Amino acid sequence: MTLEQAKIEETGAMTFEVNGTRVEATPAPGQCLRTLLREHEHFEVKKGCDTGDCGACTVQIDGTPVHSCIYPAHRAVGKQITTAAGLGQPGNLAPIQQRFVDASGFQCGFCTPGMIVTAAAIEADAALGVDDLPRLLKGNLCRCTGYRSISDSIVGQHTPPDGSCHTAPGHEHAEASSLGPVRATGRTRGARGAGLVGTSPGAIAGERVVSGLEPYTLDVAIPGLLHLAVLGSPHAHARIRSLNVAKAAALPGVHRVFTHADSPTTLFSTARHESRFDDPDDTLVFDQTLRFRGQRVAAVVADSVAIAEAACRLIDVEYELRDAVFDPRLAGAPGAPLVHGDKDPVVSRLADPTRNLVAELHGEFGSVDEGLEMATTIVSGRWQTQRIAHTHLETHATMGWLSGDRLVLRTSSQVPFLVQKEICRLFDLDPAGVRVFTARVGGGFGGKQELLTEDLVTLAVLSTGRPVQYEFTRTDEFTITPVRHPMTIDVTVGAQGDGRLTALKLGVLADTGAYGNHAPGVMFHGTSESVALYNVPNKRVDAQSVYTNNPPSGAFRGYGLGQVIFAIECALDELARELGVDPFELRRLNSVRPGDPLVVTHEEGPDLIFGSYGLDQCLDLAEAALKRGNRAVVPVGLQWRVGTGMASSMIATTPPRGHRSQASVQLVAGGRYLVRVGTTEFGNGTTTVHAQIAATALHTSVDRIDLLHSDTDSAGYDSGAFGSAGVVVAGKAVLAAATALAETLVEVASAWSGHGLTRGTDTGTWQLEHDGLRAVESESELVSLDTLMHWATANDVGLTAVRREDGALRSLAFNVHAFRVAVNTATGEVRILQSVQAADAGFVVNPEQCRGQIEGGVAQALGTALFEEVVLDGAGAVTTRVLRNYHVPQLVDLPVTEVYFAQSHDVLGPYGAKSMSESTYNPVAPALANAIRDAIGIRPTELPMSPDRIWRLLHG
Amino acid sequence: MQIPAPFDYVRASSVDNALALLDRHGAESRVVAGGHSLLPMMKLRLARPDWLIDINDLYELDYLLVDGPVLRIGAMTRHTTLLESDDVRRLFPIITDAEHVIADPIVRNRGTIGGSLCQADPAEDLSTVCHVLDAVAVVRGPAGERMLSMAEFHRGPYETAVAQNELLIEVRVPIRAGSGSAYEKVERRVGDWAVAAAGASVTLAADGTISKATVGLTAVGLDRNVTEVEAVLVGQVPTEQLFAEAGQLAADACDPLADQRGPIDYKRHLADELTRRVLRVACSRAAASVPDVTIQEG
Repeated sequence: MTLEQAKIEETGAMTFEVNGTRVEATPAPGQCLRTLLREHEHFEVKKGCDTGDCGACTVQIDGTPVHSCIYPAHRAVGKQITTAAGLGQPGNLAPIQQRFVDASGFQCGFCTPGMIVTAAAIEADAALGVDDLPRLLKGNLCRCTGYRSISDSIVGQHTPPDGSCHTAPGHEHAEASSLGPVRATGRTRGARGAGLVGTSPGAIAGERVVSGLEPYTLDVAIPGLLHLAVLGSPHAHARIRSLNVAKAAALPGVHRVFTHADSPTTLFSTARHESRFDDPDDTLVFDQTLRFRGQRVAAVVADSVAIAEAACRLIDVEYELRDAVFDPRLAGAPGAPLVHGDKDPVVSRLADPTRNLVAELHGEFGSVDEGLEMATTIVSGRWQTQRIAHTHLETHATMGWLSGDRLVLRTSSQVPFLVQKEICRLFDLDPAGVRVFTARVGGGFGGKQELLTEDLVTLAVLSTGRPVQYEFTRTDEFTITPVRHPMTIDVTVGAQGDGRLTALKLGVLADTGAYGNHAPGVMFHGTSESVALYNVPNKRVDAQSVYTNNPPSGAFRGYGLGQVIFAIECALDELARELGVDPFELRRLNSVRPGDPLVVTHEEGPDLIFGSYGLDQCLDLAEAALKRGNRAVVPVGLQWRVGTGMASSMIATTPPRGHRSQASVQLVAGGRYLVRVGTTEFGNGTTTVHAQIAATALHTSVDRIDLLHSDTDSAGYDSGAFGSAGVVVAGKAVLAAATALAETLVEVASAWSGHGLTRGTDTGTWQLEHDGLRAVESESELVSLDTLMHWATANDVGLTAVRREDGALRSLAFNVHAFRVAVNTATGEVRILQSVQAADAGFVVNPEQCRGQIEGGVAQALGTALFEEVVLDGAGAVTTRVLRNYHVPQLVDLPVTEVYFAQSHDVLGPYGAKSMSESTYNPVAPALANAIRDAIGIRPTELPMSPDRIWRLLHG
Repeated sequence: MQIPAPFDYVRASSVDNALALLDRHGAESRVVAGGHSLLPMMKLRLARPDWLIDINDLYELDYLLVDGPVLRIGAMTRHTTLLESDDVRRLFPIITDAEHVIADPIVRNRGTIGGSLCQADPAEDLSTVCHVLDAVAVVRGPAGERMLSMAEFHRGPYETAVAQNELLIEVRVPIRAGSGSAYEKVERRVGDWAVAAAGASVTLAADGTISKATVGLTAVGLDRNVTEVEAVLVGQVPTEQLFAEAGQLAADACDPLADQRGPIDYKRHLADELTRRVLRVACSRAAASVPDVTIQEG
């Protein structure tokens, strides 16, 4: 026994080194190394799963990477531990970290410190080599990037902004992706490398992200922090008859126990939208009626999570069990158990609570019966989609505290301003007394457009006066966080012999689970652009979203479109086959073009316009890439069949009925500008894009732009980062404010030169440049921005411009995906030989980032298409409760996707840009299904298209 | 955070120390090696030992040794070591095949062969591999060492013959000249638990006929080798038809359950398909192997 070990057994204390610094610590019995390191403020060690599956907590111990979440803290005695921050720091990055910055090897960046620790070990071990990188990187999950940029970062292949290409190891067969053609803006007067729109500067927080020093939601030490844990319902449908919390309250270290007796009685929805009337009010902070397994029964606030969880187990609850309904097809049947039978349909905004109906849509344009009469070919089918978990690596979490008499919430949210509004409504607080902000958010994908942790933290902070933290576990993410709506979709489509569509009939049944958050929105959005994409004289939609006692469904990337597009695009593919028409041709023949009416069950309102159009280019680009092929080796053997498939999708660039953002831009000292904008950065890249937009409008460079965002105290109102609004709404507000300030600066220069401040006249004689302004006609010397700022301050002239954007007009963006696959008929295995996505993103503000959004969306969609599923046991209990049995794609599971951009220029978006974040996901699953159909001659209709299902199709 | 039930933790300093600790703390103590199965189970409260005895520092059990006609593998040998060993690749490519598809490199850095065998997860790959290779488990307890065949060692899902006060210390794999072996699995995602997997070891006689053949299956409800195939294969020259026959026997012998990874008939089909594939590869490797494998006397 060594001296160190003897020391543990005597005192419990031990020493080890972290990044070369000696640490003395006394781990709690059973403590893992991850939590011990975080207690010592090594916040670069992240929690993604806490069960050794995701790799976010990876550290090196004596040079070997391990998952610190399942490494007993005691084992670290005498060891040398290296974290991402120990590899290098901003200004002095390790080469591997610099390459992650240069190649944009991250989006939200939450997985990055762990990823880099693993990558550094691979690099240090000459025996490993990077040829087997896809397998070497299996222990580190990334949900944002799709891994291509990570792979490039590790092997040192930086895709240059001119759009040339790369091949990732293991994917040498992949053809070059093209980042071009990218339209020049004609406004790039700034210095080279200024990072203006149309170029690809790296993320602003890049150096901090790669060294683990960029703080996320819980990466801050707050003295006296208490922890909250929740007792979840063991029953799918029950009423609490009685609760005894005495034993729990008496446990040492427990501060408060909350039950339904402590709940505000105001109904709300966890879903957050610009209009709170978009979602039904059917939820209470604590409800005496429990409608799904895991729903809050009680919460405990204690000195530690362990004590709070222990106290939850001491709460005695007597339940009165109720009949439950789990099958959405039975939810509307007479006599079915009512999930919200107690609700007033008007107050809660429900279609019919006596039939478990949250929302429905029935409407017809033209006559589908007549349309089918005219058709020579009719295809009809039913498609089924599954529950998907967002699996952002940072789980939901909130920290709250009192600052004076103000409540402060630091939360992992896409919608801090909407959270502020609803928290004030629920707890009857003055908005001036509530600050909600986010640090960098570790991914969202729609999952953080919900209010899931903030309400309990508010309750706990207000009643204890102490700072309180509530952090979801990974299991919480699978069991109580809303998932993607599962849908059953019936499609009937008819066409004449020439391929022109005559009728399209759509039936949708969505299972929204126990609460109606996002139920109406997902149902309406799902059946809108998917249907409006095609010119069909006769259309009918019948859609319902129903309550069941399953865990709630909610917002997920694509917001319903992904599910419905899967069905419609597969039906169209089958129709093309029956007609003998090429599937690309069928789309060319029937897709809407500028000038065509946009029709679902009636013509869309005038707010939706063709601000630009690039679908035709997308179809051409994808078709050409597929024809060109790549060097992928087709697997040898009679068991392999090869096929190709494609699908299209359309999406409005903004949510309907308004999305608001107010931005301000201010000249500050040193020729710098401060941009304040409310929207949230959660890996979508908006901070970089906003800096590019401001820099371009102000003729400066991105390194002169500072951003304050996502904070109700420091930025103007913003509806939030959802509905793909970050560039086209918030970005447009930034552009308007920056442009206004640029005009003001010209006016001020003119005034400074002795003409007095005459707004709007004679301003053309001064020109704004990087370091100041110059009189054009007189070719004067440069007047520095600092000089002007001092003059303006002395003369009481404001140098801040504030502008708003309300998203009143919306444009349309397009994506086309195509695949070539090989399918093994003996095992059902699908191997992707070629993956192509062509996107119409308007003017592409940051090609590398936009490409990353597309690659990440494709990766997430391939998980959906091939293996992801939140599985229920038929009685409302989730069986896939950890990442070990909910499978998100790893590098080794994914092909490299060739990405192509259409050349278009939108009349609405800033600099002609359109949104490109959700939409990239939508055409992938149907394109893959169509390729599999082509390969094996039988159509898969259920997601995920797992090997056993493909095999079943072949061997019925 | 996911917090395990409270437990006490002690680090064993030697095999004897570990055995003494097991003896002292009794039924509620568990040994932890790499910790990749036990610690997540504890965090999810699927396992709740009062005492955790950490044998991670027992470097005396971390070795690979070609010792006469057997390969001796210390129970604390990491998956990474097995994967990277040239001896293992040369003598038992089935182990290299299996290690290549086990989890991910970070797990393989900590996870051990002893931990895998003692966890006895029905979807665990190395148990099948050891069955197929006729490995012997060396188990030490207060009364000394005992040698168990895999059939004796492995009692069923999550259950082994290792008593509470015993420790698996070594796995011995017999080396046979003229042998070839292979492992293959079908998984939903790379590095995942097997939907189904198969392993085979074949020894060829000088005349090219099969003198010994063993097939094992993973995750399809069979805790033993597919002994039915031996009678069909032994004495025959390897052919596709023979493999097909063996595949059918394997499919008949297994007893899979329907679960998230697939329905019964699919798994049964995979047992057939994968048996054919591993026999094909094992036979070709056996044919390619030098018949007179040099075995160092030691």
